[in-house]
Amino acid sequence: MNHDEAAKLLGPYQDGELDLATCLKLEEHLADCPSCRQKLAGEKELVDFIHAETPRFKASPFLQTRLQARLRETAQPQQKGGWSLPFAFPQFALLATVLTVAFISCLVVWSLSPSSSSLARDAVADHVRSLQVNHLVDVASTDQHTVKPWFAGKLDYSPQVVDLGPSGFPLIGGRLDVLDHRNVAAIIYQRRKHYINLFIWPSGGDGLHDRLSNQDGYHVIGWSKSGMNYLAVSELGEKELRDFVQMIQEQTVDSRPGE
Amino acid sequence: MVEKLRDAGENLNQPDFEQVFMPHLDAAYNLARWLLRNDQDAEDAVQEAYLRAHKAFSRFRGGDGKAWLMTILRNVCYTMIRKLRSHETPEPFDEEIHQPMGEAELQEIFRRKANAETLHRALEKLPDEFREIIVLHDLEGLAYKEIAQVSEIPIGTVMSRLARARGRLRTEIIAANARETLS
Repeated sequence: MNHDEAAKLLGPYQDGELDLATCLKLEEHLADCPSCRQKLAGEKELVDFIHAETPRFKASPFLQTRLQARLRETAQPQQKGGWSLPFAFPQFALLATVLTVAFISCLVVWSLSPSSSSLARDAVADHVRSLQVNHLVDVASTDQHTVKPWFAGKLDYSPQVVDLGPSGFPLIGGRLDVLDHRNVAAIIYQRRKHYINLFIWPSGGDGLHDRLSNQDGYHVIGWSKSGMNYLAVSELGEKELRDFVQMIQEQTVDSRPGE
Repeated sequence: MVEKLRDAGENLNQPDFEQVFMPHLDAAYNLARWLLRNDQDAEDAVQEAYLRAHKAFSRFRGGDGKAWLMTILRNVCYTMIRKLRSHETPEPFDEEIHQPMGEAELQEIFRRKANAETLHRALEKLPDEFREIIVLHDLEGLAYKEIAQVSEIPIGTVMSRLARARGRLRTEIIAANARETLS
């Protein structure tokens, strides 16, 4: 193997792309050629450097959520063309269809009074919008001690933020949202690829009683504790959302709001 | 008839498509982001590529879907690039370092500032086809054969292009480091 041939093969050699015979011939040449050895060392240094720094961009979790929704939509012939129509929540309609079919048979649905029913509907709309417009969180953090202080100065109360990471519901962050005609804290948790919006606001004497509602395939569970209203919304299955709610209830300290 | 059966079974097939292709989402996004240079365009391209892949899923012959997906994505990206950058002229290659320098000296300059930022900037300066091949090979770990498929070039071209791309990347890093020392 002459020098020019060898010089061209240094990259493929370094990448393990040469067949054994060529490999051996190249190594023979390398043993006698300091210039090729030096070039190979430079090549290896560069590749090692790229591997060490791996300047890799990572897809956002929202991209995956949106993508899956689009894919599931196109999988349903009756939904085709839905995206070109200017209606408000195509993803909502899609997920609603899929999830209603999936869960309706095994659901026990308490009927809600009209006012709390519209509350549940608004909460679902908030939830859907948060997933849709790439605005799930205003403050992204898995640390409850970052999320809680973020709300200070933005709300006239301080929501309790608990971390359920060890229980399989990692904290994703917090967001300011509007519900029940007022600004409320939305705490976002993740369960596999699903998200849970937990809305928290002072109940002002008008407490939510433990309720479960099924709004077009989304589950909404509301309750009140220590003068605060809590509303958990997700496309998760009912049982998992109940488990989540139970853990939140156990971990929120029984104290008056704002303390 | 087969089409009809496919349509009817689409919901059942759905998890298969996602199982095959969702694991490559980061790889897809990475390539699109490096080629298109901004988040929004990259997300659009990835979404378009997944939808096209989904539509063409019946033609997928199984195996590792990464190269298959990347082939579609690359086409989407270049279509977008042609639309987005038709008015742009490519940045001229910085030929500042033309004085003869020994390999040892070049190596020394290269090492002066070999960090993430230097690499990122140097990669950004590469022409698309060079950036593409480095992303596919050195970041995404595609073999030469797979790159030949994705980039639609003969395997010999993969070999020479990758060598030129790495050479150019190294020169960019050395040039940047040399400039910084001079200023």
